[in-house]
This record gives sequence, C-alpha cells and structure tokens, in this order.
Amino acid sequence: MFLQNLVQKAQQLIDPAVLPGPLGSLTSSDRPSKAQLFRHQFRLPDTQNPLYEITAELTLPGKSSRGGGGAPKNWDKSNWDRDRGTHYVGQLHLSEQFLCFSTVNTSFANTASTSASSAFTGRTHGTGPAGNGFTLPLCAVRRMERLHTQSYMFALSVTTWNGFDAGGEGKAGAPSPPKLTIQLEGSRQQCERFCDGLKRGLRQGIKEVDNMRTVAQECYSEYFMYDDFDVTPTPEKPDGTPRTPPDTGLGSVFKYPGNSKKLRDRSKMRLWHEYMKENGRNTTLVRQPDFHRLIRVGLPNLLRGEIWELSSGSFYLRLQKPKLYQETLVKHEGEGSLAIDEIEKDLNRSLPEYAGFQSEEGIGRLRRVLTAYSWINPEVGYCQAMNIVVAALLIYLSESQAFYVLSILCDRLLPGYYSTTMYGTLLDQRVFESLVEKTMPIIWDHLVKNDVQLSVVSLPWFLSLYINSMPLIFAFRVLDVFFLEGPKVLFQVGLAILRINGEELLDATDDGTFISVLKSYFARLGESAHPKSENPKHRAITNFQALMVVAFKEFEGITQHTISEQRSKHKGAVLENIESFAKRTSIRNLGPESKKLSMNDLGFLYDRFYTVLYERQQRSQIIQAEADRKQKQARQRASELVTGVPGNAPEMGRVALGPSSSQMDYDAFREFLAGVSKWAVTDSPSSPSKEDKSSNGYFASALRNRSASLSPWGAGPEPADHDFMQRLFKKWDADGNSALTLQNVVTGLAPIKGNRDIMSSIEYFFELYDDDSDGKVDREGILRISEALLFLSRRGVAGGLGPSSGVEEVKGPDGLPMSKDEQFLSAVSAFIRRCFEYADPDHPSRQDVDGAATGIKNLDVKEDDLLDLGEKKESDDHPLAENSTSAADDSVLARPSTNSFGQTASKNAEANAALDPSSPVHITLPTFRMLVLADETLESFFDSGFANSFHLADAPLPSSTLTSPSFLNLHNAAPSNSASPIPTISPGGPGAGVVAPGKGLRGMLDNIVTDGMRVAAEVKRRMDEAQKELDRGATTRGTEDEEDEEYEDHGRDLLDVAEADAVPERQGEAGGNLLDKDIVSSPTKAEAGSSAASVKSTGSTGMGKDVEKSTMFER
Amino acid sequence: MSDGAGATAPKPSSSVKLVLLGEAAVGKSSLVLRFVNNDFQPNKEPTIGAAFLTQKCQLPNRTIKFEIWDTAGQERFASLAPMYYRNAQSALVVYDITKPSSLVKAKHWVAELQRQASPGIVIALVGNKLDLCEDDNAEAEQADAENETEEEPSTARKVSTKEAKAYADEESLLFFETSAKTGHNVSEVFTAIANAIPETSLKGPRSGAGGGTQAAISAGQDNNRVNLNARGEAGPKEGCAC
Ligand SMILES: Nc1nc2c(ncn2[C@@H]2O[C@H](COP(=O)(O)OP(=O)(O)O)[C@@H](O)[C@H]2O)c(=O)[nH]1
Ligand SMILES: [Mg+2]
Repeated sequence: MFLQNLVQKAQQLIDPAVLPGPLGSLTSSDRPSKAQLFRHQFRLPDTQNPLYEITAELTLPGKSSRGGGGAPKNWDKSNWDRDRGTHYVGQLHLSEQFLCFSTVNTSFANTASTSASSAFTGRTHGTGPAGNGFTLPLCAVRRMERLHTQSYMFALSVTTWNGFDAGGEGKAGAPSPPKLTIQLEGSRQQCERFCDGLKRGLRQGIKEVDNMRTVAQECYSEYFMYDDFDVTPTPEKPDGTPRTPPDTGLGSVFKYPGNSKKLRDRSKMRLWHEYMKENGRNTTLVRQPDFHRLIRVGLPNLLRGEIWELSSGSFYLRLQKPKLYQETLVKHEGEGSLAIDEIEKDLNRSLPEYAGFQSEEGIGRLRRVLTAYSWINPEVGYCQAMNIVVAALLIYLSESQAFYVLSILCDRLLPGYYSTTMYGTLLDQRVFESLVEKTMPIIWDHLVKNDVQLSVVSLPWFLSLYINSMPLIFAFRVLDVFFLEGPKVLFQVGLAILRINGEELLDATDDGTFISVLKSYFARLGESAHPKSENPKHRAITNFQALMVVAFKEFEGITQHTISEQRSKHKGAVLENIESFAKRTSIRNLGPESKKLSMNDLGFLYDRFYTVLYERQQRSQIIQAEADRKQKQARQRASELVTGVPGNAPEMGRVALGPSSSQMDYDAFREFLAGVSKWAVTDSPSSPSKEDKSSNGYFASALRNRSASLSPWGAGPEPADHDFMQRLFKKWDADGNSALTLQNVVTGLAPIKGNRDIMSSIEYFFELYDDDSDGKVDREGILRISEALLFLSRRGVAGGLGPSSGVEEVKGPDGLPMSKDEQFLSAVSAFIRRCFEYADPDHPSRQDVDGAATGIKNLDVKEDDLLDLGEKKESDDHPLAENSTSAADDSVLARPSTNSFGQTASKNAEANAALDPSSPVHITLPTFRMLVLADETLESFFDSGFANSFHLADAPLPSSTLTSPSFLNLHNAAPSNSASPIPTISPGGPGAGVVAPGKGLRGMLDNIVTDGMRVAAEVKRRMDEAQKELDRGATTRGTEDEEDEEYEDHGRDLLDVAEADAVPERQGEAGGNLLDKDIVSSPTKAEAGSSAASVKSTGSTGMGKDVEKSTMFER
Repeated sequence: MSDGAGATAPKPSSSVKLVLLGEAAVGKSSLVLRFVNNDFQPNKEPTIGAAFLTQKCQLPNRTIKFEIWDTAGQERFASLAPMYYRNAQSALVVYDITKPSSLVKAKHWVAELQRQASPGIVIALVGNKLDLCEDDNAEAEQADAENETEEEPSTARKVSTKEAKAYADEESLLFFETSAKTGHNVSEVFTAIANAIPETSLKGPRSGAGGGTQAAISAGQDNNRVNLNARGEAGPKEGCAC
C-alpha cells in the first residue's frame, strides 16, 4: 500500500520511450513503451529501438517447382503468387541493428496510438506475435539495390547471406537465402529518410559479420542445408576441412526423448529442409505461414534448439555477444557463491530420469549454464526450478545456446518468476486463478467451496513450464509454441487442462484427489483421446493433441493482451501480500534491541526505510534515463544486453520485487531523518521543486521541464546536512561500511526511543561526541555539542514528559511568559557558556570528582551572566539537590549540594583556562551530565525532547511539518506568544534587541538564537585571541572583570564578528541556517523574511536565491 | 477400489492438512519420506513449490489421514509459504540440531504461523538429525536432563535439548528430536500431532458435500496412497527414458 502511489508517481514521470524493458513484465504491464512493444514483437535485444517505419510490400521469389513433394499446398491464396512470387503487405521497421518486417500492422511511431503499437498482443491466429515477415540483422544484408522501375517509386532489392558463400550449380554449400524485394509505400521524403537510415545501419552492420559467422556455424541449419535432403552429408568442405555437425544438445549423445519414428521426426526434417531452402535459415529466415504450422506440429529434434532460439529471440542476443557465455565462465572461474552452493544441491535432482543427467557430462553442462547465469544476473542468482528448465533445454541446445535462452526466459518470458521474492510466479498464479474464475465459473466455485487452492496445483506448471508435470515429449511441444507465441501459451494450456478434466475435478473435494486426477491425466497424455471411436482417425488423436486443440481454439481469446491486463489488475494486491510477508519476517529478524521499540514503530521504520531507498532508486533511474536519453545512447553495457536489467528498472527497489538495495548510504540516511525529524530538514533548500507543488503541477511540469526541476530529493523535504547527522550516521553504522541496514537503524534508534531513561540518553549524546571513546569531549567537541543542541532545537522542541513541561508558565525577564522554545534557546546559550566555564583542564588532577563538583557549586552564581532569561528558577536555591532526585544514581551530582558556593574568582580563573587554547580542556560525561541536569530545559530535552524529536508511528509527524518546514510550526507550538513581541529580551546591548515591528515571535527568537551563536562565536574569538597572544609571546590575559565586561559591552561587536569572519565555518553554516530558514524554505514566509532582511545579510541572500529560482521555473 | 475397510465397522476417518516448514536441508523431505515410506534415501525428486503426500495415521478410536505439504527449501520460496500453510491444521517446524541458525529460522516460522495461520493450528517443533549426536542418541530425552549436552564437545550437537524444549514450552509447541535417518521418533511426531488435533477442528464433511463424499474419499484412499508414494505431483516422464 505504502508504495502504491509511489509507483504511480514514478510511472508518470517515466517517459515510456526512455526505459527499455520486456513487454508483459511487471515493469511495463501498466504502460509498456513503444520501444518495448517493438522489441517484444520482433524479439529484439533491449538495445534496439524503433527508428523508422514505413508501410511496405514484401515480395518473395516464387516457390521453386522442385519443392513439390510432401510440402503442404494449403497456402493462403490471398497471399499466394499474384504475378511472380508471394506478396505480403505490412510494416517495415528499422532499428539500430535490425530490419524487420511484419504483416501484423503495428506501428511504433511517436504518433501511433497504443493500440496500433500493441496490435500484436491480440489474437495471433497461430502466427506468433511477430506475424509473417522477418527479423533481419543488418549484417545479414549482403547487398541492397534500389530498383529502377516505372511503377514503383521506391523498391529495394535485398540480397541476404548467412556469412558464407552460397552453393549451387555444382558448387558445394548451402543455398542462398531468398532475395527480398521490398516496395516502400510512402511519400518520397518518408522513403528517402527510411533509406538513409537503412544505409547508415548497413554500414555499421559490417562490423557484425564476424559474429554472424560464429553464430551461424553453431546452427544446425547451416550444416543441414549444405546438402540436399536424403543424401549422406558431405564429409568435408571444398577446402578439405572436415564438416562436423554442431552441438545440438545432450540428445545427440544420449538420445532425444521419445520415439523418433512415432514422432515422425524424419518427415518433419524434410519439411524444414524444404522450408529453409525457400525461406532462408538462422539469420536470414523469413517467416511464412508454414513456419508457424511446422512449429505447431512439433519441432524435429535436431532443429528444435535453433528454432527455439529464433522464435524466442535469444538468437539475437547471442549474435550480439557470441562469446559472453565462455567469457563469463572464465571470468568467474574458481569463485564461489551462495547460488553455486544451491545449484550444487539440485544438480542430482534435475531430470534424473534422463540418461544425460546420470552422467558427468550432462551434470557438468547443467552446472556451468546455471552458474554462468547466476553471475550475469546476480539478482536472480539461482532459483529452484531453473535447474529443471535448463536441464530440459540442454537436451536440445548447446551450453551457450541454453545460456541465452535462459536469459530470455528470466528477463522477458517469465518476468519475476525466479526473482528472490518470486513475485512473477505469484502474480501469474493470481492471474491464472482469475482466468479460471472467468472462463470456468463452475469449476472455480467448486474449488472455493471445497477450499482447494488452485495455485498449489498449477504453480509447478508455470514455474517449470510443464516440464515437471507432463511427460517430457509433450512438455517440449508446449515449449515449441511457448517460445513462438509467448507466456499466454502457459495460461491457455493450463485452462485447457482444467477444462478437459472438469468433470473429474468436480468430484474432487480435497487437494489430494485434485492432484491425483491431474496426475493421472498427465500420465495418459499419449493415449487416444477417443479410444472407443469407430473412426480410426478420431482414435488416432491423442490426449495431447486434444489438449492443444482446446488450448488454442477454445481459449484462443486468451491473448498476451489479456495477460498484461490481468497482471496489472492484480499486481498491487500480490505485491502487497509479499511485502507484508517480507515486513513481518524482517521485523521479527531485527535483533534484541528492536524489542525496545513498539511493533508500530518498527513497522513505521521499516516502511520509512524502504520507502526512502525505493524513492531514491526511482529518482536516480529517472535522472539516469534522462541523461541516457540526452546522450542518445544506443548501445548499452554488455551485461544489460543479456540481463535486460534496465527492463526491470522502473520498479526495482520495491521490496516485493526482490532485493535491489537494502542499505542506506549517508544521503539516504539524511533523507530518512528528514522524514522523521523536523530538525533534519534543511533551512535552505536548493531544489525549486516545492514551488510547484500545488495540484498536480509538480508532475505535470516535471514532465515538461524535467531536467530543470528534478530534485534529487524528490517531493519530500530536502534534508539538512549537519555534523550531528554525520555523527549519528557513524554511530549507527555499526558495521563500519558507511551504509546502514534496517537493523542498524533500529539498533541505533532503539536506545534513543526505547529507553526513556535520561541518563542513558545523556550518555548516548555524549558518546556521539567522544570521538576517541576516552570519556572526554574536548573544546572542539563542546562547541559541536552546543551547536548540535541549537541545530536540534531550531524548529522548537516538543517537550512533553519532562519535569519542566509547563505546569506553571516560565516567565521571561519582562514578566511575560516564555514559550518552551525560548526556554530552550536560552538554556542552550547558558549551556555553552557553562561548558566553557566548567570544563576540566586537561590535567589528570582536574579530572576527578572535585572538578565536577567545583563546577557544580558555581552554577547558580553564574546563572544570570548572559541572559536575563536565565532567571527562571528563583525558587530553586539548590537546584542540584532537586535534580539529584531525578538522578539519584549519580553520586557526583548527589554530593556537592552540601558545599555550595565556592570562590567565584578561582572558578573564573578556571574558566579562563578553559578558554585558553594553550591548555587543552575537556568535559567528562559526569560534567556533561551535571550541566544537563542543572538545567530544567535541557534535562527535559534529554529526558524526552530528544527522543520525541524522532517521530515514528506512535506520534506521526504531521505532513505539513514535513513539506513546509517553516516557522509556522513555532506559531502553532506557542500561539499565545505569537501576538506578544518581547523586544527587550536581548541582553546583547541596546541595538541587538531591536526588532522590526510586526515580526513578533520570530524576531525575538532570532535574537535568542543570535545570542547563542554569539556566545559560541565569542568563545571562538577568545580562543583565537588567546592563540594570537600566545603567538606574540604574551603570557596572561585580562582579569575576569574585563572578561565579563567584554561579554556585556561588546555585544554588538560580537554579533558583527559572528557574522563577519571570526566565526568558524560550521558555525557560519549553522547561523546561516538559523537565520534564513524561514525565508527560503517556505514561500509564504518569504515576505516576512524580506522585512527582516535588513538585519541579516544571509537573509537577503536567501531571498535573492529564491527569486532566481522562480524565474527558472517560468522559462 | 476394494472396500476392505468397509467390511469391518469403519473407524471415523478425517483428513488433516499438515505443512512442513524450516530452513533448507534440515531434513523436511527426509522426515516425510520416512513417515510415508519408512525409507531414507537421497532426495531424487525436485520440489517445485511444495511436494504433496498423504499418509494415514491410526489412532485407537479414529484414523487420521495426513495431507502433507512439504515445502521447498530455498529461501526465496518462503514467500510462497502462505499458500501452503493456509488452512493447515498442523505444522511441523523442523530445525537441524547441529545447526543453530536453523533454530532461529524455526522460531521465525513459529512466529509467522502463530500470527498468520489458522488459529488453533497444532505446531510441532522438531529437531532433526539426532543420529549425528551419537552420545545422546536413543536415550536423548532421558539422558538430557542430566547431560548438559552443549558442554560435551564430543557430539555434533549445537542446539541443546533444554534450550529448544524451553522455547517449545514457552510457545506451547509439541517438541521432538528425531532422526529421519534412523527413523527415531518420526512416527511419534505424527502420532502426537494426530492426538493433539482437537476433534472439533477436524475437517468434518465439507460444507454441502455431505458424508457420502467423505466416505468416498476414504474408500479411494488406498489407491491414492500407492499413487502418491512416488512423491510429488510430478508425473512419470514416460517419454524420456527411451
Ligand atoms: N544424518 C542425518 N542426515 C539427514 C537426516 N535427515 C536428513 N538428512 C540429510 O540432510 C540433507 C537434507 O535433507 P532434506 O530432506 O532434503 O532436507 P529439506 O531441504 O529440509 O527437505 C540430505 O542430505 C539428507 O540426507 C537425519 O536425520 N540424519
Ligand atoms: Mg525438501
């Protein structure tokens, strides 16, 4: 569910023409692109795109008279010899490397309607989706001439070859393939454009000729057609090299299944010989109606593999990368993997009844093909059932051929079947069930009534292509048609099985009976369907033939289109099931720490985690696709060629589709945080995408204006990037590999959210800054902690359960109530100061309890130095005593309440020491704890505020907070204050407190923040000065009085200093963030920001950026 | 189709759906094979999704016919599991006592079943491959009380009986340690499950089907069993042996 609309959004963003992919895969079932449809129709590799198309008439030379014999004469008369040869009207298409013709009138032009592009997905009438015509690699064109005729404006004569000189007239060799005459029918301009494109392609095609020779030599047809049928094969070529038949699978050694006489193998070979003589072979094959008929009656053993390759299109993959199989094996030789272990277990149970797999030879081939595939497609790796399918393929195919067929199966014909979640399998089971329900409602009702789950029976049919269910000879017949016509065949056959066994199935009331009915039917497939018939012809019809008739006649209406439609209909529900299963499993696996979080929170984290990964993947793909499109990259990486990975691209990352990434890098982590914590949202977004969010404008304009507006953060808030976040990432990254798993995230968050224990949360925070884990945080760390506290609180702190959660209102110095946020900011600024005053010098003697105690007893005294706001605890004479009750376990804090006020002077001397860079200082955990506990606001922050700043399921962050991180939230948090500006709040000198009229709370808080920043800046400045003095050889600094004076009197200067140069970079950053957040991040705040801009230079810069961005959008 | 069973007064017979779950290679298929065929041999049949088998279990007062779904071992088939445990009245969750990770996986399956399967499902936790721990082999149960097995380096045992038993008790599971290889405790597991299935939850006559159908199934059982002993739903590969 949670990913559902993401998917839709992503799909809206994807221009279907950009992303290649298999038709009918989940990827494309919603909206297959024209390029996908094109590739699918002509079985082309994913590298091919429809470049040009034109209506054309194909003329094939007339059937030679000597073919007569047993050739079927029932040609479709309308296509038959008009004048000379056979004419077909259809569409001619050109891709980068292929010239394709089909009588199916499909169009893939930009202007074509979807139905024109997908016409072939309808009924195929036994011709296969590609129709009559050809899929001709351009390297197979030997010569192309423009015919000069009077009647035809543009007629081309195409001479093709298979890479070898043709025989004939006493010369040895296979006959030359037919000359194709193609008459283009279009405007002169269209014809010329097409021809120009073709010429370019042909020039490129020359490079592929070597590949073609390699591949053709491995084709049995090349060997087979060398001689006439019925003669003994010529033993050697004219040059004396011996002719050996190419590898046609294990069957040539261990026998092909079935009785070849009964299968009439020799007659089939004769028919194919005749067919190929007229129509070419392998690369040059032309599909005429007999091609489809010859497949329907079952392929002969020696040509079966080659025709599978051609009709599935794996042949064209092999043509592009003929050596990929061998190279892959060599490359990974000796390597091990999980897949390999799993493969090994199954080798002995893959068609063990076939002799070839009782031998090392067969087992070895099976092992190598499965292993090679697991290397080129590690995402699939190895899935049980692949062993059976590949074993079956290997009976007819060489290892290398089987490898490419397996690729086509996994990527195109059986999308998602063998993936790690097997979503494709589950989806097609759902589709099958719904087809049964539609076409055989009585059987369906019976199943439902008896609680028999159809898919437990039908799943192996699909997963192993009936190979594991039917006797092999019949399973291969199904495969013959499946490769030609596509996945719909599996459904048609499955429906026919149920239809034929309908009556018996209606008697079955449990899984067992159901299964045994079908099992015995499969065992009888070779028997007569009408054993008692008088008519011998009827008696001769086998159950299998009857099955084929029912499948392809009665269920003719089940087309690829039906399947695609049904897939997209059920996809959501199926993926959701898988996802909820995966989620349950995953959450149970999160380890002991996860028990600290509620189920709801874990579920929330799981969703958030994978949503972020998923969205990021989507975006990077969209951006990548955009880049690709710009570059017009025609050719892709070699691995993609075979794996078709981009084909599955648009939805990768969705949990149910299998693992893509399950780890979060730092950027993903930032995005993750931005979704759960408002402090993690940046104050100065660089992406303009939000401007446009009203209505559907975002996506609409994103499509128009994609490159300009595609934010790397998508529609979500842009995350901040802060030292604190980096530290958090590092801490959570327990494995130290700069990536977080869900478990890392949960384990990292559990102590924060789960403990509800102030001491451990203080410690957690401290450890974040204790870089070398020596129990000390140095001066730099103190600054960073302060800065982090400001960073975390800059959008307000959701107080909550802490002791200070305003039962009584805390008053500001002017007697007006302070909001929690104000309190917090003032507390932080006090904290910064105290830290430096009470930090321990880096001497062993100062690291003890005394040190901490000395610090503590001075707290009250110095409370008021910086901000009058600090006077909020008048009633607390001994705040520590009180605090110690909530921190009873801490002896350091418990003790000093008795010996309160120490010598201010010495303390201040220490403070000075703390500011003196020549004597390093640090705070220890006890000191830090004490400083936190000494302040109610901070105490509350660590008690609950920090934990609450991560919004998980139990307290979801309102979406408004997520999308418009702005000061609005503070208004909401403290509405009573928004109307009462507190102009005198700043102690930083008369000027600092001046707030532009009407700015209200925001201006006031700005001042407080500025104070906080100023203190940090001051500390820094003093350090720098001290350093300078040291450099100059000066030994001492001014008295403490002077120090204080400086604090008080030079506030203005400090402010300037803070904003000019003296501020360390990161402070500048934080300051900038704090100052301009409300201006830049929210358009509604921009106005207010402009009035404030006079005070803050960063603010006006922010404005400037803003303006610039909006003009970019207007373009 | 001889009605031998019908000659004597038939005991009430009911079928019980049982699903086997557990990490790959813990011995699920071997356990089923031992139970159904009293045999132990390398697994020759590929399991696509799950293999279906049946076997009867005679109790003093009734006959239970187990319809067993032996699920495929590979991890990715886990997402198919709901298809098989759906409506199961009993489950055998198997781990390998020499492999601690398999117990972890078993616990996940138990949690999954408790949350997602039919309420009241009878779950047995089974530690298999007891034969590999020769020391406490046959007397495992008795000996274990005194023997802290994990402290004995001489056995291959990596999961102590105590630990697994404690977990089983906590989750109210039946618990056995078995060896599919020797047959130790195998039929006991199934008998215990048969006994634990509450009479009320037994699949009575299916809605609308009536007792007649039920009787018909029982009559056909002997036939079925012979058939199904060949394991799995795969048909004989008639064409390929020539
Ligand atoms: N020693 C021993 N080996 C066993 C036992 N049960 C199964 N095995 C072996 O463990 C491996 C996996 O068994 P299998 O039944 O296929 O496990 P499954 O994947 O859970 O179905 C096989 O090699 C079996 O021979 C047993 O009780 N003792
Ligand atoms: Mg098994």
